[in-house]
Amino acid sequence: MEQVTTAARKPLQVNPFKLSQPMGATLAWLGVNRCMPLMHGALGCASFTKVFYTRHFCEPIAIQTTAVDDITAVLDGGDYSIAEAITNICKKVTPALIGLNSTGLTETKGDDLCRVTQQIDIPLVYANTPDYEGGLESGWALTAKALIEQLVSAQSTTVAKKMVLLPHVSLQPIEVEKIKDFLGDFGFEVYAIPDLSTSLDGYLGEKQGALSGGGIEVDDIRTLADAAWVMSVGESMLKCATALQAKNPNMQHLHFDHLNGLHATDALVEKLLAIGLVSQPPAKVVRWRQRLQDALIDSHFSLGQTKITVALEPDHGIGIVQALQEAGARCSGFISSVKAQHLATMENVTPLVGDMEDMEALHPTTDLFISNFHAERIAHRHGKALMLRGFPNWEQVGNTLKNDVLYEGSCYLLFESANLATEQRAKADH
Amino acid sequence: MHKRSEINELLMESACSHSADPNKKACNKMTPGATTGGCAFEGAQISLFPYADAAHLVHGPITCLGSSWETRATCTSVDGLDFTQMGFTTAISTTDVVFSGEQKLWDAIQYIMEHYSPNALFVYATCVTALIGDDIDTVCNKAQERYQLPVVAVHAPGFLGGKNLGSRLAGETVLKKLIGTAEPDSIPQFPINLIGDYNVTGDMWQYSHLLDELGITILSTLSGDGRVSKIRTAHRAKLNVIVCAKSLISLPRKMEQKYGMPYISVSFYGMRDTSDAIRQIAISFGDAELLQRTEQLIKREESALLEKLRPYRQLFVGKKAVINTGGNKSWSIAAALQDLGIEVVATSVKKATADDSEKARQYLGPDGILITNPGAEQAKIIDEKKADILLAGGRSLYTAIKKGICFIDVNQEKKKSYGAYNGLLTLAEDIKNSLENPVFRCVGKEAPWNK
Repeated sequence: MEQVTTAARKPLQVNPFKLSQPMGATLAWLGVNRCMPLMHGALGCASFTKVFYTRHFCEPIAIQTTAVDDITAVLDGGDYSIAEAITNICKKVTPALIGLNSTGLTETKGDDLCRVTQQIDIPLVYANTPDYEGGLESGWALTAKALIEQLVSAQSTTVAKKMVLLPHVSLQPIEVEKIKDFLGDFGFEVYAIPDLSTSLDGYLGEKQGALSGGGIEVDDIRTLADAAWVMSVGESMLKCATALQAKNPNMQHLHFDHLNGLHATDALVEKLLAIGLVSQPPAKVVRWRQRLQDALIDSHFSLGQTKITVALEPDHGIGIVQALQEAGARCSGFISSVKAQHLATMENVTPLVGDMEDMEALHPTTDLFISNFHAERIAHRHGKALMLRGFPNWEQVGNTLKNDVLYEGSCYLLFESANLATEQRAKADH
Repeated sequence: MHKRSEINELLMESACSHSADPNKKACNKMTPGATTGGCAFEGAQISLFPYADAAHLVHGPITCLGSSWETRATCTSVDGLDFTQMGFTTAISTTDVVFSGEQKLWDAIQYIMEHYSPNALFVYATCVTALIGDDIDTVCNKAQERYQLPVVAVHAPGFLGGKNLGSRLAGETVLKKLIGTAEPDSIPQFPINLIGDYNVTGDMWQYSHLLDELGITILSTLSGDGRVSKIRTAHRAKLNVIVCAKSLISLPRKMEQKYGMPYISVSFYGMRDTSDAIRQIAISFGDAELLQRTEQLIKREESALLEKLRPYRQLFVGKKAVINTGGNKSWSIAAALQDLGIEVVATSVKKATADDSEKARQYLGPDGILITNPGAEQAKIIDEKKADILLAGGRSLYTAIKKGICFIDVNQEKKKSYGAYNGLLTLAEDIKNSLENPVFRCVGKEAPWNK
């Protein structure tokens, strides 16, 4: 087991791929139907986030700001700007929920969201998400936890086939849908929270952008506690599972660090069969496992000679790396945006908390980089292959339908990376 | 740091069109829950990031830079390391918020100087570091002395206001800290500064070679394909040319006061405006020979362009367009479309200044509709005027599909340049492709289960 090293020797980030807690919070609010994300901060906190996701998802993004200025930054404790923002929002739309989260600015000045929001009489959930702490994953998780703690009613009985899915932030909309369907095939009635699979999956709808257009219903959140099972995917979601179990002591918990690759999916299937809502695995699941076995064989020749370096969120990177390692890929570098416990459990990997400067330094021992679009220049500069994953990807369309999970998605992941590596080797030979 | 009085002055900029309108108090009033658009930091960043020989260090938490670097395709001709497409941030943590981030800032500056050797360094304050009171000025002064390079503190934290204010604060900083701090090797005959063209997608390069051909020298820019070494000599230009950017109006006004340098405001969007811009620049120098050369060049460029546009204009005969965008685009896109022979039946002025609305009226004529509430009116106008094309932001896509007409995302220009003469050809090709594309009818087709 390797030691997790950090990049603390550096007083700055050069070419950062780390993203902030408020940005993770925004995405989580967008996984609740008819929600208005409200960023308590300066204009830019909301507008940068809006533009960032609009370009990634190619969809209008609903978000508003409390527009803290230099006067309210000093004189207002949030009472004025939050109440005023909500009044102005409700003049135009009727949200099912206001999703209020703080930023570095309003945490520094010490606004007490709990106190301020007690005076507001429309459905509202708040989350404390300063951007000088944590990152995208924790912002998303803190918000999911806030939704659970502030909305879910406590219960003591359970519905045997009801399951709550807690996906980590980097799972794309189609991946959340595939996991829901997969669990459904094993007999479960599944609710994901947050649920991007029906809100940011990229669909043409009539009303666009005023509020979130899809996601889990607020009413469905309120009654989540009668689920017999909660399943977290990604270490960052563990505390959300704990929060949900606190609403019903009879709820049982399943956890997976990720669902990429054969081992991880096998582990999930084993658990689902043990629960026993179905006696036999669904035929298509059996078929996809066989296809994945074949995909591993077909891609192993390319991946077996490929050294990969990833710069991703920890929950995302650990899944991608372990899935590619199954076909023999060697991981030369794992740059993580933030610290995470489970990084230390990875085999044959030396994780580093850092930035893209650190990633670039590993180019002599890398054939294939896996990171967001900021890595393009770096990959190009050194003549390396690049597989685009993570936020943001402003270069390609179709991000929301990229599927890397379970038996099926793992096939696509293996083929795409194997082909990219082969292509790059062919280029280098000419 | 800027004094409150300076900030108010920039908000109330006398050369800005809102000043004539007593109902509008300032350029950017911020209403909680009903505001869109970027903050002052973003404005400063937009104005200064294109300086390619300088590193740009953002002193704040990760959101400010993490979400925003490499977002704008600001082209540069720099050889080697291009700082415009790099991001540096102190990414401050809780410890820095509690115990001050000054030491980290100093260490970060050292790191950049030692690893990347820029010709200058801009250090941006953000909301959190402004609020905790980090003394960025002192750190920058110390660094400037130590490294003998311009190390410029930019005080435009987001909470001060909107993008326009931030751009002005950036202009103010450049004026105070950089302009007039170096002399050019030689002073050319017709030197100008280009203010407000950031060379996004290479917009500036669509016309800079024409100025060059005329003997007009771009001495410095703020800040397209910019160099700090050049903006330091900007006081030796004889004319400031503001390109489609109200936000930076304070700078040329102040340079006029300080250096007696006149300024003009031009647009390089569409054929007529491009010709007019080049002509206005030449006229400003009052040189008969230059003016004659200019008229010849305009004639040559226009006839060459019209020749190339001929097949497009034939294709566009009788086509009608509705535009739903904001600011100067409300009229500049209209002008460009008219140059292509497309009738512009309506344009949105909801997010335009009084000046912009007036210009839009001039271009559209008395029968053109100036839309004040596009959300409600757009669909109706398309029906009434039998429009063929809707140019708007992504949110309006569904309107176009429902009406079965062609949709052009106005933000496409962030991907390729529609500037000047050649850009108009690019725009024509894109409109042609959109008009010929069956996708809008295909997508709008009734689902089988609704038949």
